[in-house]
Amino acid sequence: MIVNRLIEKAMNKAEGAQASLGQGESTDVSFENDRLKSVRSSQSTAMGVRIIVDGRIGSSHTTDIDDVDGVVARALEAAEFGGPAHFRFPDPQEGPDVRVYDDRVPPVTKEEMVRIGGEMITLVKEYNPDILLSAGVSKGISYCQFANSAGIGHTTEDTTFTVWINGQLIRGTDILWAGHGFGWKKREIDHVSIAKKAIELFRMAEDTARIKSGDMPVIFAPEGVNVLVLALRLGFNGKNVFLGSSPLARKLGEKIADERFSIADNPLLDYASGSSTYDGEGVPHQVTRLIEGGVVKNFLYDLDTAGRAGTRTTGNGVGCDPTNLVIKEADTPYEAMVKDTKEGLLVHNVLGLGQGNPMSGEFSVNVELGYKIENGEVVGRVKDVMLAGNTYAALKNIAAIGDKAEWAGGLLLTPPIQVGRLSVVAK
Amino acid sequence: MRERIEKALRKSDAEYTEIRIEAVTSSWVDFRGQELDSIGSSRTLGGIVRALVKGGWGYVTFNDLSDLETRVREACGSARLVGEGESTLGEVEPVVDEIRASFERDFRQIPLSEKKSVIEEYNKIILGYHERIETSNVSYTDSFRKFWYGNSEGTYIEDERPDVGVRISATAREGDNVQRGFESIAGGGGFQIIEGLQEKAEVTARRAVDLLSAPPVTGGKYPVIINPRLAGVFAHEAFGHLSESDFVYENDRMRELMVLGKRLGPDILNIVDDGTIRGLRGTHKYDDEGVRAGKNYLIKEGILVGRLHSRETAARMGEQPTGNARAIGYQYQPIVRMTNTYIDRAGAVLEDMIKDVKLGLYALDMVGGQTSMEMFTFSAAYGYMVRHGNIAELVRDVVLTGNVFETLMNIDMIGDTVEWPPAGGGCGKGGQSPLPVGLGGPYVRIQNVVVGGRQG
Ligand SMILES: [Zn+2]
Repeated sequence: MIVNRLIEKAMNKAEGAQASLGQGESTDVSFENDRLKSVRSSQSTAMGVRIIVDGRIGSSHTTDIDDVDGVVARALEAAEFGGPAHFRFPDPQEGPDVRVYDDRVPPVTKEEMVRIGGEMITLVKEYNPDILLSAGVSKGISYCQFANSAGIGHTTEDTTFTVWINGQLIRGTDILWAGHGFGWKKREIDHVSIAKKAIELFRMAEDTARIKSGDMPVIFAPEGVNVLVLALRLGFNGKNVFLGSSPLARKLGEKIADERFSIADNPLLDYASGSSTYDGEGVPHQVTRLIEGGVVKNFLYDLDTAGRAGTRTTGNGVGCDPTNLVIKEADTPYEAMVKDTKEGLLVHNVLGLGQGNPMSGEFSVNVELGYKIENGEVVGRVKDVMLAGNTYAALKNIAAIGDKAEWAGGLLLTPPIQVGRLSVVAK
Repeated sequence: MRERIEKALRKSDAEYTEIRIEAVTSSWVDFRGQELDSIGSSRTLGGIVRALVKGGWGYVTFNDLSDLETRVREACGSARLVGEGESTLGEVEPVVDEIRASFERDFRQIPLSEKKSVIEEYNKIILGYHERIETSNVSYTDSFRKFWYGNSEGTYIEDERPDVGVRISATAREGDNVQRGFESIAGGGGFQIIEGLQEKAEVTARRAVDLLSAPPVTGGKYPVIINPRLAGVFAHEAFGHLSESDFVYENDRMRELMVLGKRLGPDILNIVDDGTIRGLRGTHKYDDEGVRAGKNYLIKEGILVGRLHSRETAARMGEQPTGNARAIGYQYQPIVRMTNTYIDRAGAVLEDMIKDVKLGLYALDMVGGQTSMEMFTFSAAYGYMVRHGNIAELVRDVVLTGNVFETLMNIDMIGDTVEWPPAGGGCGKGGQSPLPVGLGGPYVRIQNVVVGGRQG
């Protein structure tokens, strides 16, 4: 294997090394403005090494599979001035069983992908021919080799399949966007139900409702829960915790959320986008509970950060970022949440997330797709509405958590969540 | 390379074919807190073939350059699968040109050790600034892109685009209150543009500490004065994206909304996209379809007069290509993008904008912006309340939002000097981010802007 040659080469001068080689092929079919617009195929190569020399780390990567000497030489140069290593490359360990390859993905033809996109567009057009649609269908197959100087050597193969549709409806100067999509490592995606979900979002927006500024209960649909989760992605990152920039830094074991709220990092869900057997450092993946019953349980670490923080890696290398985040279901059916709301907001999509100071939990976003709830019913779409608040305050003020989790995009599995009160500014 | 590209192009049976090959060398140094987090360098080489058949595009991207001719055939095959209409591309004269980057200090000649020591100094300044400074993140990146571009009409271009930048971030903390100061500097001029930034590092640290005691802005509607850095973001985010013709050309209703000749702002308002201004990040001699860049007025004296085009959108709308088809790298097709976008100067000065404001907001710099057609939001890094004609207390969490058509009409004063703060980062669209762009403008005053935040 090429990665073994890289390790051999590096170990002439280094005291430790890891190497990876990823090769992939993918096909994307894109529809724009109701029509098939382009078909793209792509071949990619990425080869990288990370080495330790005299206790210092250096790294380099390249797209040129023949550049074994060059990539090692550049990593050695970087290591001369590199930061200190707080870890050793890990010994081989048995990895958990998680499915990431579906042999039904590779045989999917471009023609079939075109047909899937076309059927979704036809369905939405049947509902309303004025909606201007874009859509995409993608598939990918990748092959990865990984090795390190402690004896790890493995190869993995995985597949991906993604389907989405987005529509735009213009009435006067008013522009409405709505859409739905899903991607994972399996061929099995029901594109008809994705189109139907998009239609449902448009249907709910047929009427426009006025909303008055003020504090009110807000239901976050699964897609909308990303508003709350962004701060947690940053806050549970072990590097931010170690450096003290995370507001959770000194809160291990503390109750920071409603007791019904639990969230975990789970890379072991079969076929999920963030799933795989090992992380990028060859460490077996595991489920890490982040918040359980409202209490902070763990943070996410890679090897080096764990070394610095005096703890163990959670298999979130390199970078301490989450894989798939899973929020635990509770007991309130979505319908009941709506029904019990006298006046409130239902949030699907927002604009401007991540601007400002997301680590602090503060958010101030424009509601791109949201609906007004009045006397227990969704009465129409809201326009020109800003939603502001703080994730950490909102988590303490949860009114209800749904009883059914859904994928929001590909990396968050969550039920809808209702927050007791948030500030809504309407124009 | 020219021969290889031209030989492969001859294998095409499409109506139009182009090949772009790109080699990038880059390096980075990243300090987080006390320690060097990452240092290294990389090399990438890749390419894209794009083919057009009956109005349908097929394209292929690759890292393995060994068999260009097969890539060309595959792109043609995909294009045939898509095409069922008529191909139209705006006419441009074929050119043959070779461009070499010229810059003062070539960062490729500077050893990693020197890059590291420059960055380390800024990092130390931040960490030593104040006891409330919790951590820092100072990162350096450079990239040198070399392109080889050829198309089936006979255009052949070699181009070089250097880019170097530093991002400086300081985090201050007091209990649960965590605030951040942020600065970024980037440009194509050479390594010297990121030297001598000691004062910027200190200002960044000071801002993080000051924001600890600043209250969040109270949500509501205010007259807002924006500084040049934010004016550039406004020109780009709030309006510029609507001028990108791929949003418009197959969309009858957008065509109605954005019909040329329509009044969109007051007489003092001019918005321009100009890819020819020397030394800015959005500048290039040719775009990624080989079309010469130009100075394009979007709004002139308050009237919509132009928009940005690729060759395809220009032909479909019966207008001229403007040199705005850009791709962030070889993995992507060129799409309609801005270059350097700015609000042009008028006659006002900052003091006059402030002096008659009873209750308003002075918003500075930016930490992000996003649009969805006519709706925009952008976040100022910080702001000050304006009370009775004076700049008053510092406020944080300043997010401005609105409908662009209404907001442009609400501009009532524009400053007398256009500034181009050398900001890093870039623009995102269609999954392509970050694309280096230039953002500029003078001080601008806008009435009745919705400012996000808690209700007072
Ligand atoms: Zn942009």
